[in-house]
Order: sequence, then C-alpha cells, then structure tokens
Amino acid sequence: MTFYFVSIATYVGFFMIMALALNLQWGMTGMVNFGVAGFYAIGAYTSGLLSVKAGWPVEWAMLAAPVMGLIWGAAVALLSIRLREDFLAIVTLGFGEIVRLFVLNEDWLTEGPRGLRIDARPLGGMLDRDQYAYFYLALVAVTVLIIFLISERIRRSPYGRVLRAIREDDVVAGVLGKVVLRYRIQVFALGGAFMGLGGALYAHYVQNISPDVFMPMVAIFIWMSVIVGGAGNNKGLLIGAGVVMALLEGTRFLGDFMIWLDAEKLSALRIILIGVLLIVVLRLRPRGLMPEEKFRYNP
Amino acid sequence: MGQVLINALVNAALIGPPAVAFSMLFGILRFPNFAIGGYITVGAFAVFAFNVTLGLPLVLATLLGMAVTGALVWLSDEIVFKPMREHSPITLLIVSIALTLILEQGVRLFWGADVRGFDLPLTRPMKFAGMRITVEQVWIIGLALAVASLTHAILRYTRIGKAMRATSDNFMLAQVRGINTGRVIAFTWLYCGALFGLTGTLGGLDLVIEPLLGWNLTIPIFAAAILGGIGSAYGAMLGALLVGIAEELTVLVLPSTYKVGVGFIIIALLLLLRPQGLFGEAQIKK
Repeated sequence: MTFYFVSIATYVGFFMIMALALNLQWGMTGMVNFGVAGFYAIGAYTSGLLSVKAGWPVEWAMLAAPVMGLIWGAAVALLSIRLREDFLAIVTLGFGEIVRLFVLNEDWLTEGPRGLRIDARPLGGMLDRDQYAYFYLALVAVTVLIIFLISERIRRSPYGRVLRAIREDDVVAGVLGKVVLRYRIQVFALGGAFMGLGGALYAHYVQNISPDVFMPMVAIFIWMSVIVGGAGNNKGLLIGAGVVMALLEGTRFLGDFMIWLDAEKLSALRIILIGVLLIVVLRLRPRGLMPEEKFRYNP
Repeated sequence: MGQVLINALVNAALIGPPAVAFSMLFGILRFPNFAIGGYITVGAFAVFAFNVTLGLPLVLATLLGMAVTGALVWLSDEIVFKPMREHSPITLLIVSIALTLILEQGVRLFWGADVRGFDLPLTRPMKFAGMRITVEQVWIIGLALAVASLTHAILRYTRIGKAMRATSDNFMLAQVRGINTGRVIAFTWLYCGALFGLTGTLGGLDLVIEPLLGWNLTIPIFAAAILGGIGSAYGAMLGALLVGIAEELTVLVLPSTYKVGVGFIIIALLLLLRPQGLFGEAQIKK
C-alpha cells in the first residue's frame, strides 16, 4: 500500500511539472497550448532514445530532453505572431498529434506502437527496489520545487508584469514598447523545456513508453489541473494537480461498487465524470479554486 | 489519377456538410466548437440504433437520426453553452472539449468500442473508365450536393436565413434591429445538429462506426472551415474540396496514417499566410 502511495505521489509530481509549465505559457502569458502531450512525448523519446539507442549516459540524455523541448517550444511560439488564441489552440493541438503520429509511424527509430523499452535509469543498480521508489519521488519533488521557485520568481518580477500585460492586451503591451513576440517565444520555449524535462523524468520512471500514452487526453488532464487550481496562480495549480489525480485514482474504485461494469465501460464512465467536473468547475468557479492573486506593486 | 479525384470528391463530400455547420456555429457564437466530434459520433450511433437495432430502412433511420442529433445538439446548447455565453472563447473551447469527451465516452459506455456497420446489402463497386466507385460513395456525393444547395437556399431566400446572416455579421446590431437572436441561435443549433447527424450516416457508410468516428473527422472539418474563411458557408464547401484533394494526394507519397497531420499542416500554413482564410474578411479585434 505504501508503494502504491509513493507511486501516486510521483505521478502527481509529473502533473505538477506539466501544470507549472502550462501555467507559464497560458496562465501568465495567455498563450494557448493544447500540444502539451506532444512536448511530453518529445522529452520522453529524446531522453529514451539517446540513452537506449545512442548509448548516452542517462543523466546527459535526461538533460537533452529540456533542450529539445526548448527548441520546439520556440518554433511553435513563432506561429503565435499572427494567430488568434482559438486558432493557436487548433494549431498546437495539431503539433501534438503530429508528434504522436511521427512516433507511431517511424518504427525504425521509435519502435512504433510496440513501445520503447528503456532500461537506463539514473543511479540504476545502486539502490534496491523500495529505496529506488523513494529516491525517484525525491528527484521529482526537487524538480517540482525548482520549477515552482523559477515560476514564482518570474511571476513577481517586472518580467512577469510584462507577461500579464501581454496576456491582458498584447496591442497595448506593444504600444508601450515591449517586443511582444520576443517575450512570447522566451516563455513558450521555457515552458516547452519544463515539459520536456517532465517527459524525460516520466520515461525513465515507467521504463516503457509508447505512442498511446501521449494521446491528447494528457493535455486535458494538465489543462484541468491548471483550471481547477486557478490559472495564473502557481500554488493553486499544485492543488489542482492533486485534485485531478485524486479524481483519476478515486474513480478506479467505482468498479468495486458497480460490479456490473466491465473495464471498458468503467474507463468510459471515469472520463465522463472528468468531463462533467471540468464543465461544472468552469461554470461555477471560472477562475479556479485559488484565483490569481491581485498584483500589488511594492517598490 | 481519376481514382484519386473520385476519392477526393468522396472525402470532400464527407467533410463538406459538417464544415458548413461548424462554420455557421462559429459565425454566430464566435468560438471553435470541438464538440462536433461528439455530435457526429452520437449521430452515427443514433442512426445505427434505428437502422440495425430497430431494423428500419437506412433512409428513414437517417432522417430519425438527424432529428435526434439536432435535438441533442440544441439541448447541449441550452444546458452547457447558453449559461456561459459571456465567457471568453477559450473557456467555451475547453468546455466544448469536455462535452465531446462526455458524448464520445457516453456512446462507448452504451455500445462499447467495437467497430460496427450499417445494415446494407452488399453491392459491387461500379466501374467505368478503369475507376471504381461504390453505390454508397455516389450517395455521399449526392447528399453533400443536396445539403450545399439547401443551405444556400436557406441563407439566401428565407427570413430565418437572412436573420442568421445578420446575426453572424453583427450580433449587437441584429439585436437592436429587432431580430430575435435567441431564436436564430436555436435554429442554427438545430440545423447544424441535423447536419452532424447526416455526417454520422455518411461517415458510417464510408468508414466504420466507432466512438472515435467524429474525432477522426474533426481535424479535416476544421481545416476545411478555416481554409474557406471561417463563418462563410460557401467557403467551407470549397475548403472541403481542397482538403479532400490535398489528403488524397498525400496518400500517394506518405503512409495514410499521416492524413490527420496533413489537415493540421494545411491549417497552420494557411493561417500563417492568410489568417482570415481564403474567403473570410479580416476582422478587427477590439
């Protein structure tokens, strides 16, 4: 049972990393990214392929993942020059799907639908199975903490103020002399880097990644974490990630009460509940459980 | 080459009607409704229930299925979207994604994820000049043309059509001029719902009936509507034709599993070059 909770906590950590990254892009800067699953996949496959197929030391491979996320994030951000937010949503969703299609079809590189087996792990072989679970939880927790501190630092700084200005009205921000595109590229790339790192941590944890893990559903969970927690509020979405995970795991136990449901129907019912919750939250608390703090300027 | 053209036409006929519907909804409510995937899936399964479970002929089943889907789509507006009209487009977009999850998984809850087909006699494809075309494909093309003409007639010659165009052009002005925008919106949802129901049938004829049927069509539909200049019904039809041709041409050089990717790349390139679409007029923000 302890083992179960340690593994759930690790998964909540992955959610938190992704949610913090999305909050940077959307919550703070107003750039819609529905391609979260694509960046997650890029990080996971970069690290996985470099360590398994190219023979890189695992630590180096894991550091290459955020670099790839950074590059692709900057590339996708270039699209935002001319796109309204709802069109950016469609294009980023497309980006995520194209990444998944690539991973699915190019088996020579990624092993396609069979999935890529990753046997390399950081500190592999030095710890026994139980110790390793705790070690990995600590590794993920430290990463969450670092990303949280960076995000908070950005939020409180003059830089964050510019981001909020762009979110509220990019034309006004431009008129005030801010080069909007530069900020957008920087922030989207940084978010992409965090997502890539999250993907790498995930890949070496589960040790087997396949394209079906990176369905657009992943993006929905991350969006829910941010929305339920409160967009723009870093603390809030840590809670949001916990709530979404509690819902995902909690609904598993529905099967114990509704024994007439088979696995297929149970999974359908769980996703329905998630959809309903998302609509109810947006209707009743459109700004989330912990709305963004009012910003006060203290010189 | 002729075969490619036929396939492209069938493809276009399949995504044309829902692209028109998506475009009309966007024109009036101003957000991209991702729930179209769910609507189409529900439509396909409603027709399936009438056709296979109740044993009605397909034409009758389609009409009943269109009525059911129209009603459900209208109801989804009343329950989900109407109370949130004032929210930002992005909030509504997320809500519509949640709605499509609920609809698709609702179908999966009742029917499972098995692949199904309509109850139809098997027919041989007709052959002429070395090209093959099935009876179902002729039906798909014919119905799409009928839908295009009907939509044109409604928008052009009826009172409600004029009201729809006015509401789509300028919501506030239409309201001030005494147009009952609530009724216009309700009619639009019902009409579009019927088109999604029809797409359910057509999609079931051309592909297979499964919960992800609608989702797989969503992207080409978006591409067609955006290509045509969103909000323009005629543009959407032409957009469908271009997307249909583009998809079939790429099948010649890329594995067909990349088809969805092609739709996205068309969208991205077009939006970069011409953000308002081929026939759309540039809108002034704020």
